[in-house]
Parts: sequence; C-alpha cells; structure tokens
Amino acid sequence: MQKSYIMSMDAGGTMTDVFFVDRDGKFVVGKAQTTPDDESEGFAHSCADALKQWGKTPEQVFPEVITGIYSGTSMLNRLLERKGQNLGVIVTAGQEDYFRLERGIQTYLGYSYQDRLKVVTHRHNEPIVPRSQMTGVRGRIDCFGNEAIPLYENEVRDAVRKLIAAKVQGIVVNLLYSYANSAHEQRVREIALEEMAEAGVEIPTYLSSDLYPVMQDFARLNTVAVEAYAAEPSRGQFRRIADRVQNFGGDTQLRVMASHGGTISIDAKELARTLISGPIGGMVGARYIADKLGEKNIVCSDIGGTSFDLGLITDGEFTMKAQPDMARFMLKLPLIDIDSVGSGTGSYARVNPVSNRIEIGPDSAGSKVGMCNPQASETVPTLSDCNVLLGNLNPYNFLGGDVVLDPDAAYRGIKEHIADPLGLDPYEAAEGVLELFEDHLRNEVFARIFGKGYSPDDYILYGYGGGGPLHVCGYTKGLKFSDVIVPAWAAGFSAFGCACADFEYRIDRTVNAAFPASEIDPAGFEAAFEGYAKPVNAAWAELEKRVADEFDKSGIDSSQVEFKHYARVQYVGQLNDVEVLVDFDRVSGPEDMQQIIDRFEYAYAKAYSRAARSPELGYQTTNVVVTGTVPVEKPELPVEELAGETPPEEARKEGRKVFRGGQWLDADVFDMDKVRPGNRFRAVTILESPATTLVIPPGFEAYLDEHRLFHLKETK
Amino acid sequence: MSQPAEQLKPRPIGWDGKTLKEMTEESARLFEETGRYYGVEDLTLLREQPILYEKIFSRLRGGLVNARSTALNISASPIVRELGELSFALYTPEGDSIALSTGIIVHVHTMSDAIKYMIRNNYEEVPGIREGYVFCNNNSMIGDVHTADVHTIIPIFHEGELLGWAAGVTHEVDVGGINPGSMCYGHADRYGDGILVSSELVGENDEFYEHYLQRCRECVRGEMYWVLDEKTRLTGAQMARRQLLRTVEEVGVDTFKTFMREAIEEGRRTFLERSKLMLVPGRYEAPSFTDLPWQDDVNVHNNARKDMMMHAPLSMTVKGDGQVEMSFEGANKWDYHSFNCAPSPMQGAMWVQLTQTLWNSDKINDGAYFATDLKLPYGSWANPDWEKVSTTLTWFFLIPGWSGMIRSLGRSYFARGYLEDISASYCTSWNLMQGGGPNQYGVDGAFTNFEVSCGGTGALYVNDGQTACAAMWNPEGDMGEVESWESMEPLLYLGRGVKPSTGGPGKYRGGTGSEAVRMLYNAPYQTIFNGGEGHTFSSYGIFGGYPGCSGYRHNMHGTDMRERIARQEELPTLDGDPEDSGISARCNAEVENFDMKAIQGPKQFEEYDVYLSMNRGGPGLGDPLERDPAAVVADINAGEVLARFARSLYGVEMDRGEDGSYVLDAAKTEQTRQAMRQQRLDRAEDAKDFFDRQRQRVLDKDFIKPVRDMYKSSMDLSAEWNEKFREFWDLPADWSL
Repeated sequence: MQKSYIMSMDAGGTMTDVFFVDRDGKFVVGKAQTTPDDESEGFAHSCADALKQWGKTPEQVFPEVITGIYSGTSMLNRLLERKGQNLGVIVTAGQEDYFRLERGIQTYLGYSYQDRLKVVTHRHNEPIVPRSQMTGVRGRIDCFGNEAIPLYENEVRDAVRKLIAAKVQGIVVNLLYSYANSAHEQRVREIALEEMAEAGVEIPTYLSSDLYPVMQDFARLNTVAVEAYAAEPSRGQFRRIADRVQNFGGDTQLRVMASHGGTISIDAKELARTLISGPIGGMVGARYIADKLGEKNIVCSDIGGTSFDLGLITDGEFTMKAQPDMARFMLKLPLIDIDSVGSGTGSYARVNPVSNRIEIGPDSAGSKVGMCNPQASETVPTLSDCNVLLGNLNPYNFLGGDVVLDPDAAYRGIKEHIADPLGLDPYEAAEGVLELFEDHLRNEVFARIFGKGYSPDDYILYGYGGGGPLHVCGYTKGLKFSDVIVPAWAAGFSAFGCACADFEYRIDRTVNAAFPASEIDPAGFEAAFEGYAKPVNAAWAELEKRVADEFDKSGIDSSQVEFKHYARVQYVGQLNDVEVLVDFDRVSGPEDMQQIIDRFEYAYAKAYSRAARSPELGYQTTNVVVTGTVPVEKPELPVEELAGETPPEEARKEGRKVFRGGQWLDADVFDMDKVRPGNRFRAVTILESPATTLVIPPGFEAYLDEHRLFHLKETK
Repeated sequence: MSQPAEQLKPRPIGWDGKTLKEMTEESARLFEETGRYYGVEDLTLLREQPILYEKIFSRLRGGLVNARSTALNISASPIVRELGELSFALYTPEGDSIALSTGIIVHVHTMSDAIKYMIRNNYEEVPGIREGYVFCNNNSMIGDVHTADVHTIIPIFHEGELLGWAAGVTHEVDVGGINPGSMCYGHADRYGDGILVSSELVGENDEFYEHYLQRCRECVRGEMYWVLDEKTRLTGAQMARRQLLRTVEEVGVDTFKTFMREAIEEGRRTFLERSKLMLVPGRYEAPSFTDLPWQDDVNVHNNARKDMMMHAPLSMTVKGDGQVEMSFEGANKWDYHSFNCAPSPMQGAMWVQLTQTLWNSDKINDGAYFATDLKLPYGSWANPDWEKVSTTLTWFFLIPGWSGMIRSLGRSYFARGYLEDISASYCTSWNLMQGGGPNQYGVDGAFTNFEVSCGGTGALYVNDGQTACAAMWNPEGDMGEVESWESMEPLLYLGRGVKPSTGGPGKYRGGTGSEAVRMLYNAPYQTIFNGGEGHTFSSYGIFGGYPGCSGYRHNMHGTDMRERIARQEELPTLDGDPEDSGISARCNAEVENFDMKAIQGPKQFEEYDVYLSMNRGGPGLGDPLERDPAAVVADINAGEVLARFARSLYGVEMDRGEDGSYVLDAAKTEQTRQAMRQQRLDRAEDAKDFFDRQRQRVLDKDFIKPVRDMYKSSMDLSAEWNEKFREFWDLPADWSL
C-alpha cells in the first residue's frame, strides 16, 4: 500500500483539531473537545470527526499515514496554571532568591504601553519552585570560564539530600558561567547520582550546561526550569497519543512542533521549545508554499480573536530570537521571531470618557466574540460587533452557523459606547473603528519590513487565521506588496503549516570568540585565526554530535542528516547579535572569517542606519548554532484545473449589503469552499467558509489560482 | 555639505516664512493671552475627523516605540540594551513634545528644553539648522537631568521647512568625570563632572563628525559604550523621523501641522479633565529630607566636608480648573556636592511621576507641561544661582524631593474613592553602586550597576508593594543578569537576594528591597562609591504606614577571603539582618566600615575586598496593627520580614512549628495588639500640649547642627517660607537661626 497521508494535530485549551491531507493536497479538519487528562482521547475523537468527511475511519487511514505532527497548549497551560512537576533547584550559593527577585522586566512583560508606565499594576510571577527547594552551593566559575572558588562538595551533598527528602520529581542545576565551564555542574550531577544511589531513589537531573549552554544565568535557569516543570510531563501525553496512532494501525513516529520552526521527536532532550508552537505553524506553512512557488520574502500575518501576529521570512529564512519571552518568562531558546503587535477581532473598542478619544484593546472578549453574541453577556462592543453591524460578517455563518449573532445588539452597543459620545452615526463610527484598527496593523506591517531594511514591494504578504482574510485588504492597502495571498484554507492554516515542517534539530551554544576587522587591522585579523577557529570549530563539532544523537533516538543515521552551521555575530561589546548562516562547516582560514564579516555587515547595514556601522570594534561570535534536517514527507500543494473567471452558481449565496466608505453597497456572497480555481471576484465580494470570511472591498479584486490561493490586487 | 547659492544666506526655516524664534515667541504669547496651547480653541481635527486624528497619533507613537526597540540593539551597554534606559520623542518646531516612546520618559521634557535653548540662542543663524544635521546635549543647565544622560536631536524638514524634531536619550556607563562611573561625586563643582556637550552641532549628512566621536573617545572611560550609544540614539531618531515624514506624505502637511498643535492642546485639556476627575482642589504639603554626612569623609572635597541635610518642602496645589502647581518654595541652598538640580530635571521628574500616576495614558505628550506649574526658588538646590555647580547625581536630592507628590496624590485619590490607584510612594533608588579602574580585561574601565532600578515598590491601598520591581525614574525597572554585570565589573557576586524588613511596615507593607554582596576579583583595585541615605527616611509611608528602611554601609577592606576560599571555609553570601550580619560572621577584615554613612565618596577597594550593595524597599500603608496577622507570619516564614519585628511592629505572637517555621498564636496576638493599642492611648496627649512642647524646642533652637543649618538656609533664601515657618510655630519677631 502506498502511504499517502500526513496528519497534524493541535490540542488547544478547549478544542483539539486534527488535520489530514492526502497526496493530492486534499484535506479535512476534525474537531473534538480537548481532554486534558488524557489528550489521546480528544485526539481519537477528532480523528474520527475529520475522517468521516471522507467516509473513512482512523483504522483505515492510519496505516497509510507517513507523518504525524503534534502541537498543543497543554504544556503552556501547565505552566500558566502552575500545575507542573515538583522541582528542586541547585544554584550558586547566594542566588537562591532567583524566582523571588526575578528580573523587573518579568513584572510587566506582555503589558500594554499604558500599564508598563503604571507601576501599581506591575506584579511578580508566582515562583514555579518554592523557595524552600531552592538550594545554593558555594563555588564559582568566573566570566572567563576559570575557577575562582572551588566547589564546596559538602554543600552539594547537603543540598541533594534536602531535595531527596522533599520528594522532588526533578533537580535543576544552574551555576553561574556554567556555559563557559561546566565542570562544577558535572560534579554536582556526579554527587547527586551518588546520593540518590545511597537513598535508593532515581530523580532526573537537568544541567543548564547540558541543555542550554548559553549566557545569562536567570533566563537560562528559567528555560531549564520550565523544561523540567511544564514540558517534561508532556512526554507521557505524547506516548499515549503515539500509542493511539499505533492502535489505529499506524507505524509513523509522532513528532512535535518546536519554537525554531522544525519538528522534533517526542524523545528529544530539549522539550521546552515545544511550549510555543501555535503561531509558528502558519509561518512554516507560508514558507513552505513560498518555497514551492519560488518566493523568497514573505510577510506572515495572522489575526485571531485576541491578537495580530506578525512574522517575516527574508531570503527564505526565518529570523530567530535567541531570548524570547513567553508566559512572562524570559527564556534562552531559539524562537521564530513572531510578534503580537496588535489587537484581534475580539478586542474591545471604547471612547475614553476623559479625552473623548477612541481606544481599541488591549483587552479582548476573545472567544466570546462581542455584544452581538447572545450566548455571552458582553457589555462593551468589539471589532466583531463592528464587522457584524457593517455586514462584513454573516450573523448566520459564525462558526458555521453554530452561533447566530445579533446585529441589533451590536448596533445598540456601538451607538451607546462609541457613536453617541463622539457625535457620529453608529455605522460611520463602526467603520471608523475598523479603519483605525487596520491602519494600526498596516503601520506595524510596514515598520517590520522597514526595520529589516526592505520595502513592501520586496515582499509577498500572506493573510490567514480566523480574522486575517476579513481585514487583509485594509491593512495592506497602499503598501504596494508584490502580492497579497489568502489561502482558501486560511482558518486551518496553522495545522497545515505544522504538517509542512522539517524534521529538524537546532542547538545553540555560547562561545564568545572575536577577531578584529580585516579592513582596519589586517595583521591582527590574520593573527586571530587560530584563537577564533579553535573554540568555534570545537563547538560546532560538539553540536553536530548532539544533533546526531537526537536523530539516533529516532533510528536515523547521521549520514542522512543535512547539517547547517550558523554563527551569531555582533561588534565586540554589543549585546544584540545577528544570526549568520555560513556555507562551511569549519572555519579553516581567514577567508571563512571574512565571509562571516561580509554576511554580518550585510544584515546589519540592512537593519540599521549607515552611521551605526562600527567595524573598529571588531567582530564577536557570541553563540554558534548547528541545525540538522532530514527530509520528511510534506503535503503537496493542491493543483486543480482552472475553470473560467465566473464563479459557479452553486457557490453563490444570498447577497447582502455592506457599509463601506459611508454608504451601503451590494455585495456578492460566495461559499469559499465551492468557488473554483480561475474564478475572479470584483468588489464588493464576500467569500465565506465556516471559520473565516474574506472580504473584497472597493478598490480590490481577487483571483483564485490553481493552488487555491486567493491573490488580492488593488485596482486603483 | 554644499548648499545651493540661495541657501547661503539664512532663510527662515519655520512655518509660513517665520524664524523658529518668532514661532516660539508667538506660541508663548498665544498661550499667555488665551491659556490654550498656541491659542487653539476648537480641536477641529479631533472633532471632525476623530478617526484620522487617532490614526496619526497611533502612527507617531508606534514609530517611536519601534525606533526604541530596534535601536537599543546597537548599544553595548546593559543599561541601555537590557535595562531600557533610553527613550525617543517627537517635537514641534518650538520643541514641544507631541508623542513619545516608553523608557526613561523623564527626558521628554529635558530634550524639549535643549531644543528651546537652541532656538533661544539663534542656532537658526549659527551654526544653522539644516537637513541631516545632528545635535547633541548633556548639559543639565540647558536641558537634561545630569551629565550621564546624553541627547541626540535631529531636525525634520519637509520641503525646506522645519516640521519638527526627533530626539533620543540614553544613560551612559561613564562620562569622563573626575572619577569613574557615570555619576561620580565628591568633587566640589562642575569641573569634575566629565565631558559636557551643550546642544552642540556634532554631525551633518545624518552622520557624526569623526572629530566629535574622537573627542568623546578621548574623554570617557569605556569609550565603546559611549560611541555605540551615540549610534543607537541617532539610528532611533532617524527611524522616528522617517515615520513622521511617511505620515505627512499620507495625510498632507497642513493636516499634520494642525494635528501637532491640537495634540498638545488636547493633551493639556485631557490632563485638566483627569485632574478634575481624580483630585480634590486644595493644597497638599509633603516635605522630605535627606542626609549628607560628609563631615569626616576624606574621600570628598574640602568644601563639602560637613554634615548636611537636603530640605524639599514640596507643596502641591490643585486648582478648581484642574491646573496643578508644585512648589519647592523653602528648599535650602545648593552646595559643593553633585546633587544640585537644574530646573530641567525637576520638570522632568514631575513629568515622569505624572505619567506613572495621574496622567497614565498611552496618549501622553507635553500637554501636561501646559497644565502644570512648577515653582523652584532661585538659589536653592533645585534651581542653583551658580552655573558651575556639579550636577552629576542630581537624582540623590531629586528622588526623595519628589516622593511627597505620590503621597499627596494618594490622599486626593482617597478622597475621591480611587483606592486602587493609591500608593504609599516609591522607594529611594539606592544603593547606587558605580566606579571603575583597571578591570579584569586589563584595561581602564568604568561601571554603573543598574540593579538599583529594581527597588521595592510602595504599598498600595489594596495590596502589598512588590519586591525588587521598579525605580522612580523608570517604571520599567529591571535588575539585569548576574552574568551580564560580572562581565562588566571585576567583582564576583557572592550573593544577590531579598533583603528582609526593608519594606515599610503597614496594614499593607512596602515591597521588599534586595542586596548584593560583591568581592573584588581579578583586578588590582577599583574606585567604588556607596550612594544612598542612611540617617533619614526619604519616603515616608502613608495613612499610618511606616517608611521603608534607610540604608547603611558595610564594606570590608583587607579581608581574609583568599585564605577562607583556600581552606573551604564558609563565605558570606548575603548580609541579611545587620544585627546578625552574614558578612561580619564570615569574613575578617583589617578595616570594616559598618555604619549609617550610606553615601560615601570615591573609595579604593582592593582584590578580595567585600562590598555590600543594598537596595531599598518601598514605604508602607496603614497601621501595622491592622495587618492580617497571618500575612505577618507568612512574611516572616518567607524571609520578607525579620522575626524580631513580629511583636514590636505588628503585635504578632508566634510559636515555632515542628519544621522550624513560625505558626501564628492568634489569641495571644489579639491580646498583644490590645495591649499595644492601650499603650498608645496611655502615651497620647492633647495635640495642643504636643505642639506647645515642640514649639518650645523651636524657640530653644533645639536642633542638631545639620538641621539648624538646613532651616537657616531655607529661611535666608525664602522670605515666604520664613514667614510660613514663623506663622506655623507662632514665633516672636526677634527669633532667628
């Protein structure tokens, strides 16, 4: 039997989505209630829900599944709800208060501009490890990796005994400068093993130098602790799901979507990076399609109920953040640079009673939609209320018609809360609010591209998510993108994206090696070769081995792995580095160092002004990175036969009026799933699917291509 | 830069053919005549096109926030990159701010002052203000807080007309003062303050003059930090400029001009409305003091070797129309130390506090400046009459000086019922650890440790303050990472942790402070300062709450640390309870400085010497006897409060549980509290008797010398305050100090 399906799942807080795609690019999406205690149950129901659309059962399909990808929020929820493992921590003596002091920044991470300024709103996080289980041991490594104070081994023994007595489920070890010299951490582990053997217990030990050998002790501790606290317990969930797959007759290995944009095995060492996967799927999907279509520069924009997420793919590569934050923790792990830069469709709109000025968000009704939702008891209008009032959203199509929205309630809310205070007509007020919203997004989109040193005509913009297609024309208007694309499966785009991810490991390590600029100090540049190449090459070799070890767990030989080598580079002394991909695997001469300079300077000059160049300081490689990829099966991009420009009659739904530019216009309405490739749509057209709505307003037209991608174009 | 012939003779660059000076004078005249910014009466744009108005604002603000978050990546300084000590703003041609980023927004008005200085001094003619020019300023007498904060200011032109200005500011690691560190003190006057750039033209064609950068490199320690920060500011300002011009392209220049003026007038009106909504008109008095015990400090200049006190008799007046007036009338005279303030930082400090409190909004701009008045007596520390005073650490007086403003607002909020907004005020942001010398890299270095930006916050009306959280000058405080600081400073952290009982007791206690114990390592010597109050409380608590504790000095010179390490003996990690000091117990020294002289001039430390840096906690709110006893016990078990204060401060009785932790004895606590309340009643006396007794002390001039000197100075400077004091105590005409 030829294997031909790819499965990806997204276990959200309330619903578990499963996505199956076949060789021809046809797909189904299933939904079922998430079952937090045993996620495999929800998974099984969701699979059945999806496959019944093809008239099949999981048992029929799973033997033909080649790839299965997991993404989910259970790990994140475990962290947010503080329901993780009972941990003990060993740190350098005197630092036991890490989680009480945190860093000030963690008291306002994720806050709005206004609340960031307002100290009375700032709050520390509840520690994930109680203070009584934070133990300190004397001994110091200095910033050069030299031993300044020998390890006090008796204190290590005391600490381990104390944690064993506290019945901890894991011991996290994070000593100062362990990334530069791991000897003390290694010794702590040896002693811990001795003490555990003595006590007759086995407790997993997590060394920061082993898992995340990167600079910055607090963020590093956060990462290791979050890993042990919230991510590690998920291994059990993964196994149960893998067992289900097996019971359905599947023999594919389940992989997990990770923050660096690749998928990793459920047996991988570093699981913390699987905490963030939601918004990443869409970016991976966009990159995959773009790659198929030969496109290099992509803007990914995703509007959900609460936020607008924005990320860039430039020259076919994601930008990586080495120190992202998540759930109010500063972390040290690679995350695709994707930012929440604005409100979502559920965000509230109000008029400030003091200044009489409109404010959107930052809070949101989220899944409760707005005042138009008769099942919610919202008292403040949202952007969705504006959309319902103006005819952009079909009240009978929300979530496929499961909830019937009430435009009159939206009208009353907008009139009372926005229009009357401003002395505007409610329809004009609603349109104004949406314009303001879209204009803000438009600026953010522009700013990101501009910040990279490019202009929109260098990019193609993808709009997806439940709210993306509704507003995409508004936030791209006038920016002159080379193309604006909405996939016809926009609402399920994240799940699709997960299925497009490579099987890829990525490991980072701090090295801190430098050389002077060849243009300023040629002799010094040449002379620096050995001192630079030695630590960098050694680190790359170590990371290659670690990547190979990870693949080995999945039975994949390193000869099948494609390795890529990166250096993170900055001017000596700077605190922000730029990731540079090199086309060699060892620094074997000054010409390789020159390549690092050239590639760094290129990226740096793009991002900052001419005046910001500082080669006189020399170049420092802070971290090196190795990624290893093995090819996996991915969904085919659908290719369908082109029909004529006129949409088929069976796709047509009842037309309605929409309010645009201060007047009511007649809009054609179509079922998005029934329109045909080759069809063209002129303003005003609305295309509806159960989970998303694409609006083509005056000034735009759309064309559906053979891959079921809508191309939006400005007509004037 | 070559200029077309017709541009060789200066042509006015202001709007409608006016010079900037004419525009500024016109603005002042219209405000004087109408009480409204630029005389704007009708907010036409806001009224007729509220959406467009909001769009323009959101663009400018978004552009500034993005400029800040992008540009900070250029910096090498953890102060800028990690702790966010930078900000950007846009200004009208006259130098009034329209919108700003987050960050150290205390500077939004100081940069405004720097622009106004250029206009006042005819920069339009010489050196000229042209497209691509770059100006720099760090002179607090012109417009700045202190030398360590450096501004970059660039003009924004549109079709030959100056449309406005973009500006950015960062805090520097070192400014080339007479001693290392960004805010050195101990010298007598400005000649030791470091490099001064007085709204100077430092570049053109959007680039710095190489000779300017070279001068900076030669004048400061750790030159890399300075130079990269210059580039950080310039890049950010250029990004903000581009965003402004893009907006102009879209909305048209006339609409944009209208917007600029309306935005400020609207800001002014909004401030007044908010003030009317949240405050009760009247006068609020909240003085504060700080100590400067330098009589015996051999590390400071001869002129400054005396015990001094700072007097900040802050009075806030809220008028019926919402206008808020702050007055320091009665502040004492400036002196030969570095804590003098120019009017610009005083204005900035008021600003930064308003944006965190009364005018907390995402739509702030210079409108507040036009809705407030600030009275600073000439000749006082808050407005020196000698331009050569040193101002490197203006904050040392300014922070305590303004703490009363938050309490005054709190009292007013209470009266109006805005309980969640009430704070017992901020803590003072000390200890300030800074210094430098030959470092672990073998070069001459300097450092300023900004852990101090994470003090405990004041208690709220509904909650305790937060542990190690924010600073008065920057709500987005951050203490950075140990590994980051150690790669700059040749001092190992032996420990960094919560400092118990630093938060002020109260029904809700102040947030707890922190401490770090440092050991000089891998460098022969360093000059290090201690900075903070020791004998006074500078932030007092509210509604019966106590102040957070003041600081102390605990440094060890000539220690046995090397031998202790070799013998694997106990080493200090934290000092903990100073009455049971962790440092004294685990370290011997030839000289142990352990006293309340918490502000010490530049002092040399050698390898293996130990230094304590203690950060303050916030003030408390409400009577400690009203605190939930269980919360007291929880605090003690958590190490937030020392057990020895359970009874004396809170009337809480405890037992030891089996695991060694404390357990509340509720019944006994109730008895103790009853007894304490009774003691209070027994101790109470008629208010009149109390005042009579105190008046007698005043009549007898029963003050210690620094207090006597302080009051004398206040009276000599201000007849008004002299009169107020006399009237309050009902003093005879012949009484004088």
